[in-house]
Amino acid sequence: MIMVENVVEIEHLQKKFGKTVALEDITFAVRQGEVFGFIGPNGAGKSTTIRTLLGILRASGGAATIFGQDVWRDAVAIHTRLAYVPGDVYLWPNLTGGEVIDLFLKLNHQKHSAKTDTLIKQFELDPTKKTRTYSKGNRQKVALIAAFSTEADLYIFDEPTSGLDPLNEEIFQKNVLALKQAGKSILLSSHILSEVERMCDRIGIIRQGRIIETGSLEEMRHLTRTVVQVQTKQAPNDISQLAGVHDIKVDSSEVNKISFAVDSDQMSPVMAALAAKEIISLQSTPPTLEDLFLRYYNDDRQEVKRDAQ
Amino acid sequence: MHNNNFSQTGYLTRFYLRRDWLKILIWLIGLVGLMGIGGGKFDGLYGTKAAMNSIVATLKTPAMISMFGPFTAQQPYNVALIFAMEMMVFMGLFMAIMNIYFAVKATRAEEDNGILELVRAHAVGKYAPLLAATLELLIINLVIGILESLSLIAANMTGANAAGSWLFGLGLAAVGFMFGVFSLLMAQLSDNARGATILSYLVLAILFLVRMLTDVTNPDYTWWSPFGWIEKLSVYDQNIWWPVLAMLGVALLVIGATFYAYAHRDVTAGLIATRPGRKQASALLAGPLTLIFRLERTSFIVWLIGLFVLGASYGSIFGTVGDIMKTNPMVAQLMGSKAVNAATQTVILNFAALLAIVFVVLSTIPAMQIILKLNGDERKGWLEQIHAKSISRLHLYCSYVVLALITGSLSLLLGVIGMYAAGQSVMDTPIPLSRFLRAFYGYLPALLVTVGISAVFAGLLPRLQAISWLVPIYGFISLYLGNLLDLPKWAVNLTPYGWINNVPLRQVQWPLTGALVALAFALFVIGFMLYRRRDMVEN
Ligand SMILES: Nc1ncnc2c1ncn2[C@@H]1O[C@H](COP(=O)(O)OP(=O)(O)OP(=O)(O)O)[C@@H](O)[C@H]1O
Ligand SMILES: [Mg+2]
Repeated sequence: MIMVENVVEIEHLQKKFGKTVALEDITFAVRQGEVFGFIGPNGAGKSTTIRTLLGILRASGGAATIFGQDVWRDAVAIHTRLAYVPGDVYLWPNLTGGEVIDLFLKLNHQKHSAKTDTLIKQFELDPTKKTRTYSKGNRQKVALIAAFSTEADLYIFDEPTSGLDPLNEEIFQKNVLALKQAGKSILLSSHILSEVERMCDRIGIIRQGRIIETGSLEEMRHLTRTVVQVQTKQAPNDISQLAGVHDIKVDSSEVNKISFAVDSDQMSPVMAALAAKEIISLQSTPPTLEDLFLRYYNDDRQEVKRDAQ
Repeated sequence: MHNNNFSQTGYLTRFYLRRDWLKILIWLIGLVGLMGIGGGKFDGLYGTKAAMNSIVATLKTPAMISMFGPFTAQQPYNVALIFAMEMMVFMGLFMAIMNIYFAVKATRAEEDNGILELVRAHAVGKYAPLLAATLELLIINLVIGILESLSLIAANMTGANAAGSWLFGLGLAAVGFMFGVFSLLMAQLSDNARGATILSYLVLAILFLVRMLTDVTNPDYTWWSPFGWIEKLSVYDQNIWWPVLAMLGVALLVIGATFYAYAHRDVTAGLIATRPGRKQASALLAGPLTLIFRLERTSFIVWLIGLFVLGASYGSIFGTVGDIMKTNPMVAQLMGSKAVNAATQTVILNFAALLAIVFVVLSTIPAMQIILKLNGDERKGWLEQIHAKSISRLHLYCSYVVLALITGSLSLLLGVIGMYAAGQSVMDTPIPLSRFLRAFYGYLPALLVTVGISAVFAGLLPRLQAISWLVPIYGFISLYLGNLLDLPKWAVNLTPYGWINNVPLRQVQWPLTGALVALAFALFVIGFMLYRRRDMVEN
């Protein structure tokens, strides 16, 4: 395997706003040529992390680099090779969409190109309208078109599709995949988990200002549970006694049919035990990102509940 | 009552008042304080008959009439009469400015930031937010007017009477409310807060200039300007009440028009529809500086033209102002024609020096506005994507500063040139432009330093940066009224404007100019250091 260089590197990043600690300890890296998904509940610190990466906020501790350069000190140099789309796009109300797109390109020393026109067509944006008259989705399109037509090495998207309709969302995903094919690196924060699942090579989960998990979806699945639905000849009574088995539900409509969740690392002994009961049918569902996410999220809630008691 | 067009008006009014209480309080303290302190101080100023006669003679000169309104009272004079004459137009101006501020804030600004949409989505009558804004203005004016009256009664000037004090305060409340209502109408015409503010000031400026020009030529024509009606109250003299009613009548008519316009437009739209624009950016729109210029273009043009017109309006009365033969025939006859000529020039240049203060303070406003936008635009989220570009903070900061300074200096220059150009045509012995330009060179450094102070505030205290407005406001009051109120030297020297000598009558003090420019430069550098080190303000 070839060594991949890290485009973004964040180590023990901290950010305090007065007394509130927004980022407690953020450590992760985005590798060259990958799409990195950044997910977490509201207020977890995704936008704060991204704004720190952009040098808009000044870190209170830790280190962050992009292309090996310090995000605060070398912001201008970094930004020549970077494109960014914020979650809430605010545009100057008395400029047209077309003007804003061109301006954003020029600010990165680039020009309106054939690609820009193609993107305007793809997203079906009317560039002659003043941005004050745009809907939320249209404002987002302006930022997306500008970003996608920018020639850059790193693309950062903070919830870029929250206002897009499904058709435009698909166009967004296509464009991201095209960037990936061209060897670009992408940092994508999103609440649309199917989107992350579909596009991201690796994922970081953030909660209360800490990264609690990073890795590929495959790797993460190993850390979690698979849902198994099984029907056996002999009654599967003692399955509940096995280590790593949770949430057993008995399907009363059929004989000896149960479903349960099993920790991924306990899969083999459980399968062996089931085989001994003579399996009639078996269906296993790997956890979706949503399951993963909800699990972490709920852990969070339970912790909060415990704290409250 | 739950399903009509005005439901929840009362609740909204209370809510608006609670939301704005601090700002209302600040205005209230400023305006009532100015009135009370002025009234309290006046008695001591013109205690003797000689002092009284000399100030009345001054107030009757065209220059003073253009600034403060005509002095119509007859002998015997008293302190209260002089006070009413000096303060009426001045206070009326501030009341109008306050009302424009609150009117736009409560209507178009709320619409711009989407709050009106949220409010209207609730069980709130269609007209309730607008009526609540109108009522808020009415209450603010009434409270301030009553307190002004009470402060005058408390000041107990010689010659004052309770009826006059009530008329003074309530007259100011009426003129304030009338301008607030004009502004509500402008907020329906324009589809953004800034446009509404510009239109409102345009109305104020026109009515103020009509008042000024008619006062100097023939006070009977001052009836043409509703702003001039406050001069017709004849406070402490004849105490005429019906102009107050006339102002309220006009206000009512305009309220009708406002509601009509409001009913016939969509939320967030103006009566003037937004047209489509360019498909691609012009080659000129290529960086932060050109971007900010593009955004500020309208107000840039309005300010430049505005100051030129203002300068020209005042310049056009130079002939009358300098006519010593008319204002002081006895003295003129004694002096001989050469001396009269010199005296005329002195009178005009003195007047120009007073006007220069007005111009420099006015020119500071757009410059400071642009500096404060460094944080204001940030809060609106407009700069977030600029920061993600290869634009350094220095580049962004300098763009705002450069545009601010260009706007400020050009405004001042055009004010001075306007005064010269119009004065030229009406003076018997014209004064050369170079002489008038002393006002520009002299006062420009004060503008630079004041704007520099606002840059430091913008860097240091982005949330409280509006504090920097105190410098031009106090500077204006202290210099405009300073002589009449006999303010001590240190009180006038609190702002950079006070450090400048009487240009264009006197020479420009070049060493001071150099020092002030250096100071301004240092302030901008400090502002940048502070700006560079911190988080960008968010939303
Ligand atoms: N300027 C600020 N001052 C104070 N606290 C802030 C500031 N900006 C963010 N925070 C706090 O930091 C935390 C992280 O906010 P952030 O916007 O990064 O969350 P997020 O993960 O992007 O959430 P969302 O999914 O809702 O976009 C929140 O608790 C927020 O209240
Ligand atoms: Mg966010």
